[in-house]
Amino acid sequence: MTLSDTWRKLPRPLRIVLGRLPMVIPQMFGVIFVTFMLARLLPGDPALLMLGNMATEESIANLRAQLGLDGTLWQQFAHYMLQVLHGDLGISLFTSNPVATDLMERAPATLELVFYSMLLTVLIAVTVSVVAVVRPRGVADYFSRVYGLAAGAIPDFWVGLLLIFLFFSTLGIAAAPFGRIDPLVTPPPAVTGFYTFDSLIAGDLSAFRSSAGRLVLPVITLTIVNAGALMKMTKTTFAEIWRSDFIRHQRASGLPSRWLVRNALRNSLPPIITLVGFLVGFLLGAAVLVETIFSWGGLGQYAVQAVTYSDYPALQGFVLVAAVFILVVYLVVDILYELADPRIET
Amino acid sequence: MMKTLADFPAFVLRRPAALLGLALLLVQAAAILFAPLLATHSPIEANPLASLQPPSAEHWLGTDVSGMDIYSRIIFATRINLLISVIAVAVAFVIGVPVGLVVGYRRGWASTLVMRIFDFIQSFPVFVLGMALVSVMGQEIWNVAIVLAILFTPIFARLVRAEALSLRDRPFIAAARCSGATDAAIMFRHILPNALGSSIVQVSISIGMAILLTAGLSFIGAGVRMPIPEWGLMVSTGSQQMILGIWWVALFPGLAIVFSVLSFALMADAARDYLDPRGERSR
Repeated sequence: MTLSDTWRKLPRPLRIVLGRLPMVIPQMFGVIFVTFMLARLLPGDPALLMLGNMATEESIANLRAQLGLDGTLWQQFAHYMLQVLHGDLGISLFTSNPVATDLMERAPATLELVFYSMLLTVLIAVTVSVVAVVRPRGVADYFSRVYGLAAGAIPDFWVGLLLIFLFFSTLGIAAAPFGRIDPLVTPPPAVTGFYTFDSLIAGDLSAFRSSAGRLVLPVITLTIVNAGALMKMTKTTFAEIWRSDFIRHQRASGLPSRWLVRNALRNSLPPIITLVGFLVGFLLGAAVLVETIFSWGGLGQYAVQAVTYSDYPALQGFVLVAAVFILVVYLVVDILYELADPRIET
Repeated sequence: MMKTLADFPAFVLRRPAALLGLALLLVQAAAILFAPLLATHSPIEANPLASLQPPSAEHWLGTDVSGMDIYSRIIFATRINLLISVIAVAVAFVIGVPVGLVVGYRRGWASTLVMRIFDFIQSFPVFVLGMALVSVMGQEIWNVAIVLAILFTPIFARLVRAEALSLRDRPFIAAARCSGATDAAIMFRHILPNALGSSIVQVSISIGMAILLTAGLSFIGAGVRMPIPEWGLMVSTGSQQMILGIWWVALFPGLAIVFSVLSFALMADAARDYLDPRGERSR
């Protein structure tokens, strides 16, 4: 039995995963290389920068050796790559902790924010665009047209501020924009890292109420900015399929419209999946701004702090982690895309 | 079939959305050209005695925490924001288009390498890489423009490459080659004019994106610095007051961003519909 026969005998989902997985290696290599070059762009000597002007010749030489800065460019890159692969992202100049530890601590806050924002974005975008297509010239159709155009033009940080002004300062109905949970409420013991999940696991309703309340405004902010793009594209894709022959045939055969929508939606899934993956990357960038406004204490705020205090190891670590996260998301998206579209040969 | 540029104004005038975009663009052009005449105060002069005043006859849109006139700053900021964005996109266009053309026309290891480098750049979230690059290179206006140009170049290269790939095997290219045209002539005289459509639309989209990115970078302190008038920076100075109920400091510069980005988005839509041979599909 030849290799290709064995390959073909594997179940399709496994073939898809195995086919896509090796592409991660050069991508990782590229991401690490760009992050490495980022530090090389710094004007001056990083060792001198870290030790300050009072450093002696000897201590600079020592730190250079320790940081792997004394070799050729390629040796330095190899040194950096080895460090990264061992999970060593350097020491933050501002917090004095290993950057990897700092990032791990803050990641759940950002992920929780991104998770709920994505959920709400997909829910709203898909619902509105389906209704807009099924009932043309209705309220949803009109709304999605205006909103689709305007949403791309609104800066996320500005929306966040307006929401704070309206719902916290003026109406007083929203939770305070200072962090993930009320300072008087003890955060739930960490299981998943998501406060909303952990508080439910611990059965702590007041912690759940507080953390869920704090999520409302930042999640709405990110959704308002993101839903437009997804809505626009879902509408185009869904409309095309809604007019296609097989849906027309199903309608002629007397299938209830609920089924028609479901079948049409099932067929517009692949491009939606791709855009959702792309939006996760966009959300991560947007989270930097939104976290700053809501003092969220996640990766984004850590990155802004790194920018403010010229904490380059922390910044470099954040960029790397963000890029690796995106790579993983794209990997999952590509796999889901192929799973959702049975016409793709594997 | 190439449509001529001369028909575009008439096309714009027939569409209300495009007309709105054009009107907003003209307002911005006026703000850039006549900023000293339109402004009522100096855009960078602090006045501690007039700190945080609400909109009034003296200060039309109020003042910020250091007493600077918000209306005058918004007017002058148009220069900074559009200067950065237009230069960044122009540089990205001038570099990206020829690179995409060559990479699409000539296949080989060098082309593959260039595309891989673009892949690497694009595998980072745009805002995250922009933030890191600007803070590493130093937070100055020119560095913001350079960073945006680096981020946008792959977009143009990719668009032109895709077009060039589909054009290079067409009969009219073979005909040009048979009649003795050199590679350079084929690329720039025959392929380029037919490959530019999507890039031209992208120019307008990218300027809008650049305005948003510049504003976002300045907002977190990784872009333009005080007291330079820049919309994102102005929103940032008002962000603390917003919680206290002082809304005018952050509201108005944010509106300026929305209108500016919207004008470029509307023009992009108009250009897309104009160049799309299938007609006004989005209607």
